[in-house]
Parts: sequence; structure tokens; C-alpha cells
Amino acid sequence: MEGERLLRILARVTSDGGPEPAVARVCALSVDLAGVTGAGIMLMPEDVPWGSLCTTDQVSATVEDLQFALGEGPCLDAHLDDRPVLEPDLAAPARLRWPAFTAPAVEAGVRAVFGFPLQLGAVRLGALNLYRDRPGPLSDDQHADTLMLAGLAAHAVILTQAGAPPGRLADELAATADFHIVVHQASGMVSVQLGVDVSEALVRLRAYAFGHELVLRDVAHDVVARRLRFTDSGDQPETQP
Amino acid sequence: MRREDLLVQTLVDLADNLVDDFDVVELFTLLADRSVDVLDVAAAGLMLVAPEGGLRVMASSSEALHLVELVEVQAEEGPCLDCYRTGEPVTIADLTTADDRWPHFAPVARAAGFRSAHAMPMRLRQSVIGALNLFNDVPGALDDADLLAARALADVATIAILQHRAVRDAHIVNEQLQHALNNRIVIEQAKGVLAERAGIEVDVAFTRMRTYARNGNLRLVDVAREVIDNTVDTRLLDT
Repeated sequence: MEGERLLRILARVTSDGGPEPAVARVCALSVDLAGVTGAGIMLMPEDVPWGSLCTTDQVSATVEDLQFALGEGPCLDAHLDDRPVLEPDLAAPARLRWPAFTAPAVEAGVRAVFGFPLQLGAVRLGALNLYRDRPGPLSDDQHADTLMLAGLAAHAVILTQAGAPPGRLADELAATADFHIVVHQASGMVSVQLGVDVSEALVRLRAYAFGHELVLRDVAHDVVARRLRFTDSGDQPETQP
Repeated sequence: MRREDLLVQTLVDLADNLVDDFDVVELFTLLADRSVDVLDVAAAGLMLVAPEGGLRVMASSSEALHLVELVEVQAEEGPCLDCYRTGEPVTIADLTTADDRWPHFAPVARAAGFRSAHAMPMRLRQSVIGALNLFNDVPGALDDADLLAARALADVATIAILQHRAVRDAHIVNEQLQHALNNRIVIEQAKGVLAERAGIEVDVAFTRMRTYARNGNLRLVDVAREVIDNTVDTRLLDT
């Protein structure tokens, strides 16, 4: 009965630990209730990945990083398709859904991955991402619990942001958020180096990382540290020692 | 039905309302009526803080209580008002002793047949958004079990109203959220643009933008956009 499920979960959310922001607590609770290894919440304003509001471990952060860099993955699909996306065996999937995302995610230790959209009424915020280091599906109960937690997470985001001054991200959300600062700084630099607008610069950064099998974040760090510079001579970036 | 079962059933019924769309007044009426059964009081009511401040009567389990609550709000005195102001539960075990404290409210409450009153705050962290009011026709305070149950009912009412508001206002908040998220990105991009144009580190670029914004009483994000659009003279940003 859905009322009982909600009460049980609400009781856990309010009692489980103290001062952490509500969104982070929902994230942590989802790991426990779904029997997975880690979780993260991705925001996708206007259907574009922005970053994570929280992640429970490094692998979850990597799962989000990969989706941001590659533009594909379970969170994106869950958000765009408005339904849970379930991959219980990422290393041997029935169908290869994410050609670029799969191998690096498996290498990072992900064996099962699940994305649940964060929605409140007609408002679509992003997705809750779960991963497990062993393959296997979610049970019916785990699935139903996670659906409800995703709904609560959406509530928590909206309620938290409602208390913020207009135009500013609520402090509680900003505290644990990772929105790839260095990538945007690098985009700014590259936009000047190449004489293109910032979104084009980001495309070029992503293409460079993908083409050289590098992590986008690392490429961005190199740009900001001035170890890597983009020029249009033959469309190859110059590297500086 | 046992008291505990009735409480659980009430909470489950209310929680079911949280899952579907619901009418707030209908929900509060259900809550008020069910509080009377669960807590074995004569009457129960709910008040919410109105947007302009002050309390508004949302639901009462009886007409007699409704009038008493209206008087309380009108006269701005009574257990519910005290509860709202302090954010703490208020108990008056014998209304015959309350004339000094509440000279307008106490006689009216007694005339309506009530002898004791209890107000539980509806709270979310620091904010009080309303109160659950319980009136009895005999003197006496709520015992610990009743207080716990009253607390639980008030908490569910709080969650219900906040959920209702969140759903109603979510699209507005979402727009603000999207602006805020975009502003964060724009500021980081601008740091990179300025760093490259001026040949400085991104931290220095940030400091220059912030100083320029403060000196000109501008928003940082507006300065950032000007930097990106190249509509501000980079030399103006030299400290």
C-alpha cells in the first residue's frame, strides 16, 4: 500500500542522521533501500546535463562525469524518456545501449546501473542514478522504494531551492554539487583561443578528450593550467611543456 | 478500533493523500476529524500562517470550535497564537485559570463548552507554518502518549501542506533553479574567457570581475555575460 511505503520511507529520511542536507540524505538512503553500492543525483536543466547535486562515492561521481562528458547514459535516458532505465548487467548487456559509456563505466567498477527520473508534477529535474558493483536486477520492492525516493528527492530539491534568493542556487544544494567548474573555465579559455563561442569550445574539448581517450576533466585541467592550448593550425591543439 | 490502530490508519490515509493530488481544506478537515477520535478530545482544528502573516483558520471539527478559533485569530490571543509565536506546544489544562493570560479568548472558549486546550506547532526546521489545536470539554493536560500522537499528526499535516505548495509552485521554483544553474556556468566560463584575454589565472580573473561588479553595483553574472560577449573593455577590469 503506497501510503505505508511513503510513511516508512519518510520515517527513515527524517530519522537517518542529522545535519546533512535533505537531498544528500535521500541519496544515501537510496543506496540502502535499493541494495546498491552507490548513488548520485544528476540535474538536467532544459534537458542538458549540468552536474551532480550529490554522489555517495567516487564511482558514482565517475558515472555522472562520464554521462556529462559523453552525453549518453542511464540518467540521461531516464530523464529524457520520463521512465526508469534499468541495466542489471552492464558488462554483458542484452543490448548495448550506450556504446561510449559502457566500457569506461565497467572499468570503473559498475556492473549494474539504474536511472530513475526526478519529477514533480510537470517539472522534470534530472535523475537519480544507482549503481552496483555486482550484476543483478532490483527487486520489485527495491524498485518501488526507489521510485518513491526519486519523487521525494525532487520534492527536496524544489523545497530547498524555494528558500533561496532568486538567481542563486540554494546554499544547501551548492554545498555538495559538482558542476564541472574546470570544464567551463576551460571552455571559456578555448573559446578565446579558437575565436568561437563557448558552446562550440565545449564541443571541441569533448571531441579532443574522446578522440584521445582522455577524461574530459583532465583535459580541462590541462587547459586551465596552460599545459594544453587549442589553436586552429591544422585543427590540432598545440601542447606546451 | 484500538487507539494505536486508528492513529496508524489516519497517518496512512493522510499519506495516501500525499501521493495523489488533493484539496488542502479537505485534507485538513479529515485531519481535524480524525484527531478528535485518535486523541479523545472534544474538538480539533487547524490553522495556517497566511501569506501576509497572521493565522488563518483552515478546518474545525465542530462549529463551536470554529467560532472560538475565529475569535482567537481576531483578538490575536490564545493558545494557538502563543504556539505560533513561540514555535513550541502550548497546554492550558484549565481554562478557568486563563482569564489573565487571555482575557478575550478564555471566556469565549468556556462559553463554547471547552475547559482545556492544547496547541501543537506545525513546524519545518525553523519555520512555523501553522498549528494543530485540540480542545476538550474537561480540564486536564495531554499525557505523553497523546502528545506524541498529536506531534505525529501535526508533522503529517506539515508535510502535506508543504507538498501541496511544492507541487503548485514547482514550475516557478524550477525556472528559478534553471536560471541559478545557468548563472553558475556563465560565471565559470567568464573566468576562463577573461583569464585567456588578459593572460592571468582564473582566480585573478574572478577577483577582477567581482571587484568591477561591486564598484559598479552590478550583479556578478551580468558582468560575466559582458565578459563573454566581449561588450566590456577588458582593461576596465584591471585592478
